Amino acid sequence: MDLLFQFLSNTGYFLADYRHIIMIVVGSVFIYLGTAKSYEPLLLVPIGFGILVGNIPFFKGFGLGIYESNSVLHYLYFGVTTGLYPSIVFLGLGAMTDFSSLLARPILMLLGAAAQMGIYFTLLGALGLGFLPKEAASIAIIGGADGPTSIFLTAKLAPHLIGPIAIAAYSYMALIPVIQPPIMRLLTTRKERLIRMPELRAVPKRERIIFPAVALFLSCFLAPASIPLLGMFFFGNFLKECGVTERLAQTARTSIIDTATILLGLTVGASTQGDVFLNPKSIGIFFLGAFAFSLATASGIIFAKLMNLILKEKINPLLGAAGVSAVPGSAREVHLMGQREDRNNYLLMHAMACNSSGVIGSAICAGILWSFMMVS
Amino acid sequence: MYGFEAITAHNGWSMAIAGASIVFSGLVILSLAISQLHKLLTIWENKKNFFNRNKQTSVNSTEEVLDLNLPERFPSDINEAARLYHPLVKKLGQPFQLVQLYEVSRKKGFPHPHLTISLLRQAKVLVPEGDGVFFWNHPSYQ
Repeated sequence: MDLLFQFLSNTGYFLADYRHIIMIVVGSVFIYLGTAKSYEPLLLVPIGFGILVGNIPFFKGFGLGIYESNSVLHYLYFGVTTGLYPSIVFLGLGAMTDFSSLLARPILMLLGAAAQMGIYFTLLGALGLGFLPKEAASIAIIGGADGPTSIFLTAKLAPHLIGPIAIAAYSYMALIPVIQPPIMRLLTTRKERLIRMPELRAVPKRERIIFPAVALFLSCFLAPASIPLLGMFFFGNFLKECGVTERLAQTARTSIIDTATILLGLTVGASTQGDVFLNPKSIGIFFLGAFAFSLATASGIIFAKLMNLILKEKINPLLGAAGVSAVPGSAREVHLMGQREDRNNYLLMHAMACNSSGVIGSAICAGILWSFMMVS
Repeated sequence: MYGFEAITAHNGWSMAIAGASIVFSGLVILSLAISQLHKLLTIWENKKNFFNRNKQTSVNSTEEVLDLNLPERFPSDINEAARLYHPLVKKLGQPFQLVQLYEVSRKKGFPHPHLTISLLRQAKVLVPEGDGVFFWNHPSYQ
């Protein structure tokens, strides 16, 4: 009988408290959004399921939890804390990305740069709210709207915040259709939204082959701390474009990125154990994450409007919203917003140019912030 | 510590301004570089034409000098023919393809280049080395 009571006292039913229940509800919402609403399902489903796995109450000391040094989940989590998974995800992203539109219209890269301003405003906000500099930098990078970049920087600067930051970053990426359109409508007039973009020139193969090398040198010489992300990103892109490694590129953009995404999502989700995750800091991070994301969107749009003051050939300011690096969600949203005003206005390819420059910009920002924190 | 005091204490203003400036300037430089990429590639792809054009310009300039002394009729004197053709040979360098000499003299507008070159060959001023390659051999014009 004692044995039975002892066993029962070690079950999840006995050990569960309200925090576990809250997190299980959060995980279920993620899975619902991913499966029923198709909001970023490739991210939300692994993370949501990871939240469920990580919040099943267990007896501490058995080597079961993600924060227990000898557990299987802890070993899988190693890829997150070392920044391994984000680098691998960047390899796959590079092998998927087509830079043709950016090469055809390089000026759109400035919108990707402008959208990174949200990161630095949020840095100030987080410092002002009392976060330590390394924590503030990790929170600020949510404004880049790039999940792997956020996880990478947080793993380096504030590993204890990986859970809330990753959840915030991915949540806002999934909520792009909810967050961005009101900001776009608020900051643009109908006349601006109707601006049509000229057709892009065809970019020769040789130009696309050389681009990854040029971009690698220019961006990584500027911020060497971004090598783990941008090095892999441009390597993946070179595999895609060089034409002789199609098999490797195919593997990078399918099996490799899928494996990394599964493990990244699951372990990040599992890291949100209720007793560790639910605290005032997490709420602050969610608040600041929304602020960062909105500000990044607004910065891009406002900068596009400023560019229109001096450019002869006007840019549709909606494109500024695609300067955040949420690929391809924000580009899709910009395109849809443009088409709501004029069904024959095709902004997708131009928005993808801003999107891909946003990926480069946010990775450079991560490198810069990491360098600043190492120096200070 | 909260608010502006915390931002100032942690060097927040400098980090934000410096960070924003660095990423912005970095992407501006990158966009400038890629905006010039297709131009550089065009030059690279057309480099043969580019160099040929230069070469042709040089030859033309030689020809322009020669124009001044060019006779209206085919030079019957071998020494006179050698004097006219010698600058072209110097420009082509030794040895040279006979067809090149013909092309250059024809473009320049030498009277009856085919006939003149035949004459120079018969006089052993143009010495064959095989495979259409020739040497210039004239005691006065070396």
